[in-house]
Amino acid sequence: MQQEVVLAMLAKEPSQGFQLRARLNDALGPLSEALNAGQIYVTLGRLEKAGLVVLDDAASSADRERKVYVITAAGHERVGDWLAEVSWPKPDLAEFHLKLIAAASAGLADPISIVDAQRRELLRRLRDAERAEIAEPEGSDAALLLAGIVRRLQADLQWLEDCEASWTTRRKRQ
Amino acid sequence: MNDTATSVLRTVGLHKHYGKAEGLVRAVDDVNLEIARGEALAVMGPSGCGKSTLLHLLGGLDRPSGGEVWLAGKRVDGLSERGLAGMRRREIGFIFQSFHLMDELTAIENVELPALLAGRSPRQARRRALELLEQVGLADRGRHLPSALSGGQRQRVAIARALANEPLVVLADEPTGNLDSAATLEVLRLLDRLHTAGLTLVIVTHDQRVAATADRLVSMRDGALVDEMKLTGGSARKLSDLVATER
Amino acid sequence: MGTTLLVFRLAARDVRRHVAQAALLVVAIAAAAATLTMALALNGVTSQPYAATRAATKGPDVLANLTSASQAKDLIHASGVAAFSGPYPVAAATIRFDGRTAEVFAEGRDTAPAAVDQPASTAGTWVRPGGVVLERTFADALGVSAGDRVTLNGKSFKVAGIAVTAAQAPYPNLCYLTTNTCSFIINNGNSRDMGVIWMTTADAIGLTSKANPLTLYVLNLKLTNPGDAQAFVSQHFHPQAGAGGGPGRHLPVGSPHGLSAHAGPQFTGPVLSTWAGIASADALLVQDAQSVLEPGAFLLALLAIASVAVLVGRRLSEYARRVGVLKAVGGTPNLVAAVFLTENLALALFAAMLGTVTGWLLAPILTNPGAALVGTAGAPAISLVTVLQVAGLAVAVALAATLAPAIRAARTSTVASLNDAGRTPKRLGTLIRLSRRLPVPTLFAVRLVARRPRRALLSAANIAVTVTGIVAVLAFHADVDGKLGGAKYLAAGGLSDPVINRDEQMLAVVTVMLVTLAALNAIFTTWATVLDARRSSALMRALGARTRQLSAGLVVAQVLSALPGAIVGIPLGIVLFKAAVHDATPPPPLWLAATLLGTLAVMADLTVVPARFGTRQPVAEVLQADAA
Repeated sequence: MQQEVVLAMLAKEPSQGFQLRARLNDALGPLSEALNAGQIYVTLGRLEKAGLVVLDDAASSADRERKVYVITAAGHERVGDWLAEVSWPKPDLAEFHLKLIAAASAGLADPISIVDAQRRELLRRLRDAERAEIAEPEGSDAALLLAGIVRRLQADLQWLEDCEASWTTRRKRQ
Repeated sequence: MNDTATSVLRTVGLHKHYGKAEGLVRAVDDVNLEIARGEALAVMGPSGCGKSTLLHLLGGLDRPSGGEVWLAGKRVDGLSERGLAGMRRREIGFIFQSFHLMDELTAIENVELPALLAGRSPRQARRRALELLEQVGLADRGRHLPSALSGGQRQRVAIARALANEPLVVLADEPTGNLDSAATLEVLRLLDRLHTAGLTLVIVTHDQRVAATADRLVSMRDGALVDEMKLTGGSARKLSDLVATER
Repeated sequence: MGTTLLVFRLAARDVRRHVAQAALLVVAIAAAAATLTMALALNGVTSQPYAATRAATKGPDVLANLTSASQAKDLIHASGVAAFSGPYPVAAATIRFDGRTAEVFAEGRDTAPAAVDQPASTAGTWVRPGGVVLERTFADALGVSAGDRVTLNGKSFKVAGIAVTAAQAPYPNLCYLTTNTCSFIINNGNSRDMGVIWMTTADAIGLTSKANPLTLYVLNLKLTNPGDAQAFVSQHFHPQAGAGGGPGRHLPVGSPHGLSAHAGPQFTGPVLSTWAGIASADALLVQDAQSVLEPGAFLLALLAIASVAVLVGRRLSEYARRVGVLKAVGGTPNLVAAVFLTENLALALFAAMLGTVTGWLLAPILTNPGAALVGTAGAPAISLVTVLQVAGLAVAVALAATLAPAIRAARTSTVASLNDAGRTPKRLGTLIRLSRRLPVPTLFAVRLVARRPRRALLSAANIAVTVTGIVAVLAFHADVDGKLGGAKYLAAGGLSDPVINRDEQMLAVVTVMLVTLAALNAIFTTWATVLDARRSSALMRALGARTRQLSAGLVVAQVLSALPGAIVGIPLGIVLFKAAVHDATPPPPLWLAATLLGTLAVMADLTVVPARFGTRQPVAEVLQADAA
């Protein structure tokens, strides 16, 4: 489980391990098994070591589940950077999906702006790939590869549009 | 605000309404747009967002309920039917999703039609049509009927037709909507070539592939422009980065 | 059973969806049916009423015109004579009424009913002292009704009544023979303004004077065997040229128009005629009219076929896809053809019924045989044969126009039908090439015609038929006018010629029906063309053509298709006229030119409004609807 995801979930308020896991399960639904939400404690440990979260001893008990984790200032900064990042790891859509949810629930950023920013980036990449495809002579091997890249980018862009639509509706409902 | 001298098309507060009171539909809602000479603009949006209506208003195929439309520095939204027809003859070229070629005319007869309407002599019109067919790579198919041409070829004939009278701007409504992937590439290649040669284009599309080839992209929702994005001068990434990120 | 029901259900649903077109189909066939009904009704109309009149008035089998009362004795006592009445004195007189004048033969009669030939009253009563009775057609022509006062030879009489008789052909064809041809040529010309009136014997004799002596007597004979009438006449009536007694020839029968104007030598003996001759003279009244009505019905039938063909052609293009759906869900080609045919046949039969009833109701206008005969107060009886003939015509029309398309619809492969967005337009390359040099409206017009050559041909055929009819009618009018011009006496007397009246009535009816049907056809063809051209004209507008240019083009297209039809129709109309009316003069060329131009102008006018409407819809709408 990506560190930044857990960190972002702590950005709103300190939480216990099991609460975090519950929220992850909610957000991932049937995919939570495959994505190993149980790994959360490992991630929390790493975050603590990196100084991005601390344990609130006063509120915690010995039970690991009931330990309360609090984000540090450094952690906040890290979350901010992560939210602004537009790198596009392939093919793991889950991270982006969680990014949006985390941003919304923590009130850190408008998920729609995040989607927009990502869309722009992907469109630019699509443009580059498309222009390259057009420039290639017909039937070249490179053209075929470029066609594949174009298709995937198209598919991702399609999904980003879905995200935008969905989050707009969600906002309207609130 | 761009210099009006270089803007080919400009709209100010353009809107188109249907119905009234509760039944009021704002097909196009207060759109301010400016298209520079030689620019390729893509208009995207979900179906029913009004992008086709916007195109029709720009091209004089429909009259706005209000607002201004300027073509090459002249105001055109209030023109008479005669004036609009003249505008469509001389300054505007249209490309449609369903090609809209005349089924009973050969490719070359379709292409020369606008020239004939503009009063050119048959010989001139025929010569121009041959030139254009060459440009779009269909010189050997001049005598074919549309039914004997593939989708991509038909759209290329339609593009040639749109260029017959050397228009200032070409308006394309979902030009690749009825085409498969390979035909889309064909058409994109052609449009790209024309654009590089200086053609001003406004393309309405829902296909990101098509939109990505434009210089600028605007998004519409519920009749209004909601987003604008310059696609040129984008990220500094090299092409290899695209492949690298596949890993 | 299930299939039949299905066929009917599908046919009914289709009709409901295209009510306007079905209505036009019905109107077209009904008009033709109505005219045909009237023609057929007219055909046998006089023979029956004549028989009725003969029975009602105890009509004579043989009529004798005598120059003196004594000639009656031999005839009365001849063998084979069962009853007689007369001899009645007949005085010549001049009648005046309301500024109109005419010559009359006044028969002196008893107030008591006669044994043979007792005229039947249709208004008022029989003769009495001072009261005269007029023959019905004559009374109509003169404008007299029972109770009016008329002047005879200066003396005033009251009109006691109006009556009909079987002993004389009705005005103006009556025939008192004292020469070898009918007496209405006595006045050295074509005078036909002579009528029959009856009065008391005393009054009749009172009309004579030294200057106007009594020279004519009428004797009515009834034979034991009416079939012997001709033999009786031959036996007792031997024509003799020159003066001198002896029986003469029998009554010549011919068209009053054609009789030559020479007065023959005067016979002093009795002149006999049979009731059959009178019956034929009766028929003269409607003979001309019939010669107009039959070709009229034929023309209307042609128009009906043409309009049905256009209608069916148009519907076929919408039908093609439905046919495909039917076949895709398992309908056989036969089913498809069955639905199509059923629909049109049902409509045709309905139209035939409608037309027959209309014809039946309208027929009294025409079939009233000169008002002279009894028994036509209401609608004429239409025989079963007539109904079957009319139904047959309707079915033939429907079949002629729909059989080929129905079979073609059935034969088209299912896939082709489903993909077919309509009849693919033809391509006439030559016309397209030629049109490039033309200005925009004409370019559009020529290309429109080239797209649908068959419809253009049908339009031309429509116009040809209409113009043929109009030219024939005009020719008839010219002919009638010519004849009227010669009949000075009628004009002088102020009476109307019932034959000509009848002819003109007939002409008017046929012309009105012809023109109405043609106009409907033209409107429909135009509408079909405009709808068909909607996409082309929207596209042309998107490419920069002006609406005005395009609607002008639509009008020109209609006129272009109409032109050859109009040109062909003129000589055809003259041929038709010459075939229908013998010994006729063709109409003046000026009228013909006027017809040609007039037809084209009307065609253009009819197109203008639909053309305007058809080119007004916003381009975007049309193109989007088309793409859908």
